[in-house]
Amino acid sequence: MSYIVPIGPYHPALEEPVHAKLYTEGEVITDAEVYVGYNHRGIEKLATERNAIQTLVLVERVCGICSHSHSFTYAMAVEGINGVEVPRRGQYIRVITAELERLHSHMLWAGIAFHIIGHDSMFMYTWDAREVIMDMLEELSGNRVNYAMVTIGGARRDISDDMRRKFLKNLDACVPKLDRITEIALNDKTIALRTKGVGVMSTEDAVRLGAVGPHARASNVKIDVRKDAPYSCYDEFDFNICTWDSCDVFARVVVRLLECYESVKILRQALENLPEGPINNGNKLPKIAEGEMVSRHEAPRGQLIHKVVGNGSLFNHRVSIHVPTFKNVTTVPLMLRGNTVADAGLIIAGIDPCFSCLDR
Amino acid sequence: MQEYRTIPITKTDIVPTALRMRHEGRHLVMIHGYLDKDGSTHVSWDYAVGNAVESYYIVGETTFPSIEGVYDEAARWPELELYELLGLTFEGLDTSARLFLPEDTLETQGKGHIVVTPLSELREKRLEMEKEE
Repeated sequence: MSYIVPIGPYHPALEEPVHAKLYTEGEVITDAEVYVGYNHRGIEKLATERNAIQTLVLVERVCGICSHSHSFTYAMAVEGINGVEVPRRGQYIRVITAELERLHSHMLWAGIAFHIIGHDSMFMYTWDAREVIMDMLEELSGNRVNYAMVTIGGARRDISDDMRRKFLKNLDACVPKLDRITEIALNDKTIALRTKGVGVMSTEDAVRLGAVGPHARASNVKIDVRKDAPYSCYDEFDFNICTWDSCDVFARVVVRLLECYESVKILRQALENLPEGPINNGNKLPKIAEGEMVSRHEAPRGQLIHKVVGNGSLFNHRVSIHVPTFKNVTTVPLMLRGNTVADAGLIIAGIDPCFSCLDR
Repeated sequence: MQEYRTIPITKTDIVPTALRMRHEGRHLVMIHGYLDKDGSTHVSWDYAVGNAVESYYIVGETTFPSIEGVYDEAARWPELELYELLGLTFEGLDTSARLFLPEDTLETQGKGHIVVTPLSELREKRLEMEKEE
């Protein structure tokens, strides 16, 4: 018997507005369609009537998880147009916040994935480890979401020497927890049965459909904006691009957990070698010069793109925001085909989607 | 540091450029569109070339050939977005499904008004509508 099974417009586990239509033959999905646009807030439109500092506040609200990525990328675009040089200490603080954000985002996703798999103890372990990172972010910025750490030309808050030492200690405390999570994820039978061979996307398909970020790396595509087009001070750190060749949901779990170790590696280097000097170029409201710039940043979910067009006034002429989910969600129908309806929730969640950011 | 280069092209260069970039294994970053200060459309096909973004742009056109055949889904969604939000036409693109706007928007409210109309005008329209009610 063939059925059409609608899922959404509210994802059962992720609390994200997406609607998936599954065409099934018995239990098996033969085709699928994905619909977005349930949370279109007109942020790009609003940004055309805001100045640069107001836009930083606005774009930060595109996403709750990767809020720093948006203000970071927007600031890079405006600095690119205006030709502003950012002090090195400011660059380091931006990178530290970005990597802390990546850690907490990956752990949040891993926790939710374990919850969907049905391994709730692991969900709690992972979110317990994530709490250490959230405490660090709170101490650094004063907030648990929307960190407001970026201004045009640098960072807004400094890291004191005490805080730096404390963060290094916290990272040491976080690694054993991460080790335990990774060990269980790699060896547990429940996780293996639910994830291995589920939602396969081959390397050729990942390249053809233009997948980005950890989702592409889990299909053995070696792309990472931090390495391919280094920005800020990423070229000063030693880290690896993590890939996995099984191309299924298991690979997506493993790649994200391995990337947590790389983030810890970058954080250690950044905190130990934090340069002296100013953190920004002062708080003067900048004019956006005539010109345009596309800046790219490796957000936790993949390549984040901001295009800013300036017309010489205080306001943006155009801000165009494209999040990694925009590229990754088009791979979902392909991954769903041939799997059972019971795995659909996990496969959709496997791309670490952020549909609210996609709609922006 | 990331670089950004702009290169003007004509309508006939769109597909050959896409084919060349695909052949070289370049990533299609995005297809961007906006109205410049004279009110004419500015559409750019942005490709990642090493640490730079090469932006091949066209000014003042409203119909373009689709590069969906070259870049598959990676090009289809950006083209659909420009069709819905800026009212641009891509020849050969299937526009029967919507992307961001509600199912009935294209029939009842036209397309391309969201990014084009200034926010202050939309606000006034809204106030007028409220008054009438």
